Amino acid sequence: MSALSLHKKIEENTGLLIFGILLVSSIGGLVQILPVLNQQSLQIATENTRVYSAVELTGRDIYIREGCSVCHSQQVRPLIAEVERYGPYSRAGEFVYDRPFLWGSKRTGPDLHRVGGKFSNDWHRVHLIDPRSVIAASIMPAYPWLAKREASQVGNITAKLSALRILGHPYSDEDIAAADSELEGLKEIDALIAYLQMLGTGLSEDISI
Amino acid sequence: MDEEDNNLYHDKVVIRLIQFSIIWAVLAMTVGVYISAELIWPSIDFGQFWLSFGRLRPLHTNGIIFGFAVSALMATGFYSVQRTSHAPLYAPRLAWFCCYAWQLTVLLGGLSLLAGWTTSKEYAELEWPFDIVIAVVWVCFGIVFFGTIANRKIKPIYISNWFYGALIIVIAMLHIVNSLAIPVTIGKSYSVYAGAQDAVVQWWYGHNAVGFLLTGGFLGMMYYFLPKHAGRPIWSYRLSVVAFWAFTYSYIWAGPHHLHYSAVPEWVLSLAMIMSVILLAPSWASMINGIMTVSSASEKLKTDPALKFIVLSLAFYGLATFEGPMMSFPSVNVVSHFTDWTIGHVHSGALGWNAMITYGTFYFMVPRLVGVELYSLRLANIHFWMALAGTMLYIIAMWGAGVSQGLLWLSVDEIGELSFSFKDIMSSMTPYYALRLIAGIIFLGGTLLMGYNLFMTLAGKHALKVYAPAVSPAFGVSS
Amino acid sequence: MSSEIYSFLLFKSLYQPTEAFKQLAQVDPSPVGIMLRYSLWLLILPPAFSLIGAANFGWRLGAAEPLMLPTQALLLVSCAYFLILIIGLLSTSIISRWMASTYAASTSLGRHVALITIVGEPLAVASLAHLFPDVLLNIIVLIPTMIWSMFLLYKGIPIVLETTSERGMLMASSLVGWLLVAAVSLLGMSMMFWTLGVGPLLGV
Repeated sequence: MSALSLHKKIEENTGLLIFGILLVSSIGGLVQILPVLNQQSLQIATENTRVYSAVELTGRDIYIREGCSVCHSQQVRPLIAEVERYGPYSRAGEFVYDRPFLWGSKRTGPDLHRVGGKFSNDWHRVHLIDPRSVIAASIMPAYPWLAKREASQVGNITAKLSALRILGHPYSDEDIAAADSELEGLKEIDALIAYLQMLGTGLSEDISI
Repeated sequence: MDEEDNNLYHDKVVIRLIQFSIIWAVLAMTVGVYISAELIWPSIDFGQFWLSFGRLRPLHTNGIIFGFAVSALMATGFYSVQRTSHAPLYAPRLAWFCCYAWQLTVLLGGLSLLAGWTTSKEYAELEWPFDIVIAVVWVCFGIVFFGTIANRKIKPIYISNWFYGALIIVIAMLHIVNSLAIPVTIGKSYSVYAGAQDAVVQWWYGHNAVGFLLTGGFLGMMYYFLPKHAGRPIWSYRLSVVAFWAFTYSYIWAGPHHLHYSAVPEWVLSLAMIMSVILLAPSWASMINGIMTVSSASEKLKTDPALKFIVLSLAFYGLATFEGPMMSFPSVNVVSHFTDWTIGHVHSGALGWNAMITYGTFYFMVPRLVGVELYSLRLANIHFWMALAGTMLYIIAMWGAGVSQGLLWLSVDEIGELSFSFKDIMSSMTPYYALRLIAGIIFLGGTLLMGYNLFMTLAGKHALKVYAPAVSPAFGVSS
Repeated sequence: MSSEIYSFLLFKSLYQPTEAFKQLAQVDPSPVGIMLRYSLWLLILPPAFSLIGAANFGWRLGAAEPLMLPTQALLLVSCAYFLILIIGLLSTSIISRWMASTYAASTSLGRHVALITIVGEPLAVASLAHLFPDVLLNIIVLIPTMIWSMFLLYKGIPIVLETTSERGMLMASSLVGWLLVAAVSLLGMSMMFWTLGVGPLLGV
């Protein structure tokens, strides 16, 4: 049967057409994406990478909620200029507890993967509430509401940790039981800063590139 | 009488979808203009969380893709599948359900983005309750569409329907796989994929949502409306067959080129780059097929705004499908990635290709649906030049901004020190952003003109009654 | 074939484009004549302005300090610029003539070269902005000029190539497609050269 007459069959049969499209379009996914999902080396944490604490996880969820990843990447590329500007390039093992990943696709602001420890908590606080009081030319939005809202109201932290435990994050029963009290008295901005300060601290100290 | 009504095309739902599509275009482009102004005057969010850039930008992209583009694809899909099948819509009530359920989903989904419900995965930001509703409506869309094809009176399934079919099937697959997550609360879930793996799945989705929705779906539009306007069959049937399958096969592989120089395995990135380059061939094959179709028919053509928009959209389609593979080369990507060049690239596709071909198609369909002349040819011609000027200005402003960012971020002096601070580079972008704002306003202005023009064309009119024609035995199902 | 056409094109087509299109439709000029006596005089302008500007003020790319290159390098860049413009004009004219066979328009190469030159003339004149080679200033001056040039392209093709406005529109859009692709290829190629080590240092 020639290719054209085979095709005549397909284009005259709704079911065959649907099946053909499904088949042809899934090959790429099966050959290219599935192996990545099974690749163990992408799931091994680097030396200092650990699960997020209740406070850091809440901060990360605020980071997601405010769409920080729209303007800030978290992916230092292995280029001389990037390593110099931001720090050691990003390793797969640093992201094993990131659901979802927050690498971003646009740097309207600088990369944040190695921002942890670079600025003081106070600097972050002032900067988040009024960016232009710190950097006059900044075009970052101000986030005054973060200083007013309670961190415990961001979502059900117990349910969050339990959900992540189902996905394989090593939270103990004690971690989950203590989660509510860890957030007590904290504002959203405290949680966000805690998250920013632990960003990119997953590599062993002697790695400098 | 009954027999006749059984053959009546369902065009009211098409008109309603066109109206919604135009409304979404205006709303989502207005948001786009607003956020481009925020990049110049950051304080115009007035400290309100729901006006904050990080929340409005996903609203802009989702409004354009799911509001404007999908409504337009549903409208043109329903219009063309009836006419190429010589059969009215299968399950017309389900079609109406798709129409309204989709609009409600986009509306509530948009509000949920403002409220901060987001997965942060690009073009898949809507949280799990919306993901489920989207899947349900999408399946209904598929039932109406494939049901109509199954009822067709003509033996072969026309090419445009393959593209719409691929849109429905592949987007369903991508959407379901990428949205798998464990819900925590009504507005929050955690992806079942983590880190680098999540990145690969997300860009497999993100790239192919662009591929099968904004490229493939709109090619379906092109394959029906261009030959229809030219009054002759597609230039090369064989080319369209080859282009379709090559396109469907190769697009899926290209996603990870969004992740160059990241922690994703090297072989995945190389494969994605190679397939991106191969993708150029089927992408351009469809463009050439379209251009040659109108070119070989030019003695019969009437230059109306509809045709001008559709033909020009092919030029920008050619640009975008060439630029994409080029940006997947590591040596170009190293400069362009993370910069406004990407934004420019997206808009050469979204403004130059998607919006323009949709405008052309709307100018073609609306007068025919109600059986009158277009309200104002003059306004439509002005719209054409506004759309062209806006797109050009946008693309070039973003080329300028993107190349400057890419080169300045990377430049080092003789002893290897960085030449410029991030802050200095960023603050030199304001003029480009101002140009982009002007470009956006011009383009939005054109869209408003079209909205006025088409709503005046439709005002007080009813859909013409169009019946499926009797099919000559030579093409009939029973032959 | 009188030589009046050359002087007309050179001196009047900028502000009387329609008249120039009509005149051109009457003749079948030699491509070499058009190149030597019309096009080249315009094509030399942008590289010349760029040379003068860059030598006096340096290239200004956003945040960067003006980039002052030695005269020899600038000469080289200007020569390359001139060469690219000539290649651009010729390739566009040839592609335009190739398309003309599809759109049943005139296939006189001389006319195509002249047409593309008339369309590009506003850009050549607006390249005065190169005298102060600030990227932004150049973009602000050149983009509106470019849109005017595109308008001229759509307007000129049916007149000069003696075809219907429908076909002219199709052909103009096809040419716009070619020009966009050519522009982005140039951009891509220069990025590749840059990242591969030609031009200022990059930390890649």
